[in-house]
Amino acid sequence: MLPSPNPFATRYTRPGAMQPLDAAGRPVHAAEMLGRLDRLGGAAAIIGPHGSGKSTLLCRLADAVDAGGGTALRLRLRDGRDGGRVLLAMLRARAGSVVLLDGWETAGRIGGMLARTIARLRGCGLVVTAHGAVGLPMLVRCRTNVALLNAIVDRLPGRSEWYGRLIFPADVAETFAAHGGDIREALFALYDRYERRLRDEGRAGREGREADADGAGPGSGIQEIVGGFSCPGAPGRNLR
Amino acid sequence: MMVDPQERSVGNPRIEVFFAHQRRQYEPGDRLAVRYVVEGCEGEMIRVIEHSVVWYTEGKGEEDLGVHFFERITDRGAVASAGRDGAFETTLPASPLSYEGLIVKVRWCVRVRLFFASGRDFVSEHVFLVGRIPPARLPPRGL
Repeated sequence: MLPSPNPFATRYTRPGAMQPLDAAGRPVHAAEMLGRLDRLGGAAAIIGPHGSGKSTLLCRLADAVDAGGGTALRLRLRDGRDGGRVLLAMLRARAGSVVLLDGWETAGRIGGMLARTIARLRGCGLVVTAHGAVGLPMLVRCRTNVALLNAIVDRLPGRSEWYGRLIFPADVAETFAAHGGDIREALFALYDRYERRLRDEGRAGREGREADADGAGPGSGIQEIVGGFSCPGAPGRNLR
Repeated sequence: MMVDPQERSVGNPRIEVFFAHQRRQYEPGDRLAVRYVVEGCEGEMIRVIEHSVVWYTEGKGEEDLGVHFFERITDRGAVASAGRDGAFETTLPASPLSYEGLIVKVRWCVRVRLFFASGRDFVSEHVFLVGRIPPARLPPRGL
């Protein structure tokens, strides 16, 4: 039997894989947000705490820029050592492109000033993600609630095949609360619950079969259980 | 990327892939031979077809990906034919082997991707197994 994908894996939940949703669980319209960016003068920040969807939204904006015929320059600051690389990339950016910079705080005050100056001189738009005010107009403030996590879970692949069997409504509420509203961490916790229950389910099924077979040898756990559901990456899945 | 179906859907395409090995179970060094049939693309002009065999990681961390085999069909006549059904084959490498870990999994898949004249595209992925590494087991509760 082919293995089953875990719907909470980053393959399905990373920024760019998920559609950004607002606090009510409705899709965010990136084109409207780009219009707002224009009205704010072309430079603005997406603000919110860890795991609130800033990077997911930034990814969507980049796709919308590309889809609109513009040029999106996606940059990510993981630590201070990335600063030089990011500034160099901005210096080389095509005039009129939109720079989408994830992890603005990592740039530090001087790095941030340099980045803003370069963007202005190059005639580029600038959208950054940050946890708090950074001296740029706010494009959007990301907030989370359990309804948002529920909406995300509802949209994960193969939901009808695992929701209510391996993951329950209480799991969503519990993981959201346990991680202080950090959606990313809550999804990781759900990933772990899914793995544990899938294996527990397989073990139970195997033990039952062993009893039926009067001591037949153990099987191989997860591969015996689920043949995979219809989702990106699953057997035979047709992606759009 | 999980895209809105409305954004990139093209008719109702479907690609059925047939593996030569029963149960899609292969060993390193095996010859992987697949054939496929495309359905639901009537009225849509296919411009390019890509065949690939890739492995990728799936789990809680960043994804890794390796392309083992890739071919792009652009010739108009070949596309017209491969746009209905096609086949390709490759010899599988020694590693990585398919693995069902708790934190990370390694998966192999065959991909067929269609690029339509309208600018849209459609990807079909079909998982298979390389090697026979047993899936990871959970540590006992409490650890």
